[in-house]
Amino acid sequence: MAVAPNTQDLTGIETPRTTFGRGSFLQREGPLAALFMIPGWAILLLFMAYPFFLGIYISLTNKRLGRSAYDFIGFDNYRYLWGDSIFQQTLKNTAIYGVGTVPFKLAFGLALALLLNRQFRFSRVFRAGLLLPWIVPTALSSLAFLMLFNSVISPISISLQQAGLIENNINFLGTAWNARISLCVANIWRGVPFFAITILAGLQAVPTELNEAAALDGANRWQRFWAVTWPIIKPITLIATLFSVIWTISDFQLVYVLTKGGPANATHVFGTLAYQRGLNATYFGEAAAISLYMFPALALGAVLLLRNIRREPH
Amino acid sequence: MTDPKVDGLIAEARTLRYSRRQVMRRAAALGLSVPAVTAAMTTSGYAAPNQTRKFASAPAFLQGSSIHILGASYFVVAGEERFREQMAEFGEQNGVDVTLDLVAWPDLQARIAAAIQAQDGVDIVQLWDPWPYLYAENLVDVNDIAVPHGEAHGGFYDWVVKTASVDGSWHSIPYGTSSSAFAYRTSHFAEVGYDSFPDTWEDLFAAGKALKEAGLPPLGQALGHSLGDPPSFTYPYMWAYGAMEVEEDGSTVAFNTPEFVEGMATFIQGWEDAFDTTGTAWDDSTNNTAFLAGELSATLNGSSIYISAGRPEADGGVPEIYEDMNHADFPQGPAGRFTNIGAQSWGVTTFAQDVDAARSFLDFFYGEDQLVSWYNANGGYYIPAASSFSELPVYTEDPKLAPFLNLVNYGRNKGFAGPSDEAAALAYSEYIVIDTFARAVGDGDAQGAVEWGAEQLERVYSR
Amino acid sequence: MSIVGENRIWQRFLYFYIPLGLFVAFLLMPFYWMFVVSLRPTADLLNRVRNPFLIYSVTLNHYRFLFEDTAFTTWMKNTLIVTVCATLLSLFCAILIGYALGRFQFRMGNFLGAAIFIAYLVPPTLLFIPLAQIISEYQLYNSYWALILTYPTFLIPFASWLLMGYFRTISAELEDAALVDGASRLQAMRQIVLPLAMPGVLSAGIFCFTLAWNEFLYALVFMGTAEMKTIPVGVVSDLIKADTFMWGPLMAAGILGSVPVAIAYSFFVDNYVSGLTAGATKG
Repeated sequence: MAVAPNTQDLTGIETPRTTFGRGSFLQREGPLAALFMIPGWAILLLFMAYPFFLGIYISLTNKRLGRSAYDFIGFDNYRYLWGDSIFQQTLKNTAIYGVGTVPFKLAFGLALALLLNRQFRFSRVFRAGLLLPWIVPTALSSLAFLMLFNSVISPISISLQQAGLIENNINFLGTAWNARISLCVANIWRGVPFFAITILAGLQAVPTELNEAAALDGANRWQRFWAVTWPIIKPITLIATLFSVIWTISDFQLVYVLTKGGPANATHVFGTLAYQRGLNATYFGEAAAISLYMFPALALGAVLLLRNIRREPH
Repeated sequence: MTDPKVDGLIAEARTLRYSRRQVMRRAAALGLSVPAVTAAMTTSGYAAPNQTRKFASAPAFLQGSSIHILGASYFVVAGEERFREQMAEFGEQNGVDVTLDLVAWPDLQARIAAAIQAQDGVDIVQLWDPWPYLYAENLVDVNDIAVPHGEAHGGFYDWVVKTASVDGSWHSIPYGTSSSAFAYRTSHFAEVGYDSFPDTWEDLFAAGKALKEAGLPPLGQALGHSLGDPPSFTYPYMWAYGAMEVEEDGSTVAFNTPEFVEGMATFIQGWEDAFDTTGTAWDDSTNNTAFLAGELSATLNGSSIYISAGRPEADGGVPEIYEDMNHADFPQGPAGRFTNIGAQSWGVTTFAQDVDAARSFLDFFYGEDQLVSWYNANGGYYIPAASSFSELPVYTEDPKLAPFLNLVNYGRNKGFAGPSDEAAALAYSEYIVIDTFARAVGDGDAQGAVEWGAEQLERVYSR
Repeated sequence: MSIVGENRIWQRFLYFYIPLGLFVAFLLMPFYWMFVVSLRPTADLLNRVRNPFLIYSVTLNHYRFLFEDTAFTTWMKNTLIVTVCATLLSLFCAILIGYALGRFQFRMGNFLGAAIFIAYLVPPTLLFIPLAQIISEYQLYNSYWALILTYPTFLIPFASWLLMGYFRTISAELEDAALVDGASRLQAMRQIVLPLAMPGVLSAGIFCFTLAWNEFLYALVFMGTAEMKTIPVGVVSDLIKADTFMWGPLMAAGILGSVPVAIAYSFFVDNYVSGLTAGATKG
């Protein structure tokens, strides 16, 4: 639009800012920064940090929903879960869910971004249109998948049967691996547009002159991508991947609507197991522990990745 | 053990015909503990006279309060409409603002949990069969309405007492439940030589095999993570083969028995031979869809399939299936014929804005005329909790619906032979019995699946 | 045209049209299916003779049902109010945080930036039960505020990070010049930096709008009455009747529920991308 992002600056060096330290209170950076932090942090502290620490505390107790009496039991919930075969299964499922979706979302998202980065007729319509999976409320799009993967009325099964390719309805969600694959497909469907649009944003920062120069030097498509494009889109791609890992591991809605963790616990993820143990069975302490199990690992990963991105020159 | 003061109070209550609330007030004045008095009232069989009855005509003190009701979505639209009319009627009579919130079945517990945690937002709540045990601490004691209501209508069925009362005390008032029976296509079964529905599970599997071999639709059963249809098959089948979650002491797991392992092996074979094997993915809705699409010859369900089929075609009715279908009792196994049944009920939360208003609404709703009109509007979808209502024409006029009522006679509660307590509720919400079956048909290992189930039940029952 | 040498038609097909077509098919198929179901009579769902992906007879009954027999317009209104307010509130907070983190050097800056990011790692399934208690203590239960104040917890982190990057792309000299001319910091920010940052703000706004529009769990548990429900919650609780799904109206609601956001995207997609470009590559 009118204000094009300052692309020149992308390769440049950060100029050290002069600090206007002598003015009034509001002219100094430190206090002003602190002031600016207040509204956002107030909300985050009240509605996130407080319940979060409450959640940590609950995970160290044997609290049950609606019971006033409970005891502090230290790490017993965590220890108990470690030995619980359903929880072990959940860990495995979550790993499968992550490995089975994030790389695909990344690869497809990158490919789609490269396609959408070109100028062609109606490119804007395609850009907006292909975002639809991300726009439709998940609560409703997962119902559409519930139909597509239905054992009886799946249009996929029906049309394949009409084509004579299969005889019986496909058991999309009924065996352990079918259900996992189906969930992964639905998750990839929902996640690709986010990757695509985010990486597309990164691609727009790639100066065309650089690419052209490389092409003149005889670099092929593949070489140009790694030498010119990738360094520029790398930070944003890593960030998108980090977001996606977080969203995937803490996914709830899709699994809840499609399988509720079935068949025979083959698709339980942290969210659905915590829901089952905490809400249906009222074991709050244990449910909180399930939700928090991955937190340290995720937080560490996030911090390392963020530092890594920060340290790199733009 | 018994406090003489408590006994004295009960005696006093008997002579003076105290209402329950008056008893509690006296208890407080005498410095007695409420649970002790409640327990004494229950054990002594003291039924407080129905004090609330007069609220209906003298509502002045309810004026201006409000009642918010939380329940699960209705299947029968007319039933929901009738309930809303009753709310409006009560609201107008008493100057009370009554509102209703109905949510999808799987979301009900999330809403109850949030309300309890917040101690706010819900005054009257719908409870399904193992829940009164879970939430008892947050439910007002309603013995004074429930006990006389049961007594006046032929008594509550045993399965109602076992599932909706908490250790003999009522924290919610049962109205019955939607029950299951085998819905089946008479013509399909006749074609493979069955003029009546098979009477044993093995015979049913044989019939299903014959159906499949004859190119007719198979049997259908959900075995996914769903709280409706999967348990209504798996629990009865487990009992029919002599296994149960626990023995009468409510803690000794009695799941892994040779007879049940054998029964499970039979089922694994039967599943391949006679069922639509995609059932491992089904939820409560799938068999409805499949049956109405003409793709099943028999399935266990509430009367919702039959009611849907009988609707006008524009509303999704299927006349030819409606005519052809019938219902049958559960088949039996070596240990007998069983079904799983538990009562649903309405309770008042301890954190209700106006407990008295909420209680008097329930008193109004459970009044004979009101309740009967509601049962009628639901067209037989809910079988009643108290026995005399079973004689209502709505339950007897359509012989095809008779099996739904029959099963009050051979029903067991979840957690049988123990009570439908917290451990039973946990086992149920963890889908342990269901997953035992799903595992068995998943890898064909009957012994392994039953061992897994027993191990999980040990875990749940030893907490 | 494209700088890459795709002079031959087969090359263009191989590297462009075919992959793009596959993406269109994969990403739009479920949406197309929702559309088909929303326009077809219910009975057609069970029809195994005709191709299930085609429409043979069109009916608007499902849409009519939504508007006449459910509170869809109320849900739509609620969703709009909550989404717009939550988005504006989040943007306000995120602009301040993003500005402070992006343009000021101060102690704790890095730490606070990382901490905001970490806030994203806390799963809502853990938060919603303790939150229910807090919402009730603050007397927010069943009011728009319950959602307007809780949605920013998952909107602020991304929006702040995006805007932080965007503010960094705006040359400091302009602002410094204004300061030298005697403008206060706040004036310089409001009159110079903020107008330049509008594409970034728009990007962050669209992002917030989408996430808030689609939220389900908090809306389910914090809104108690039928009049206060949002689209996803109202649809799921009113169109799934016990063990039967009203597929037609459900899918119609899915289509209608996505329209406002889809329109926003079709207008702003390029701004969204360019805002993201500047913000994200400077993260």
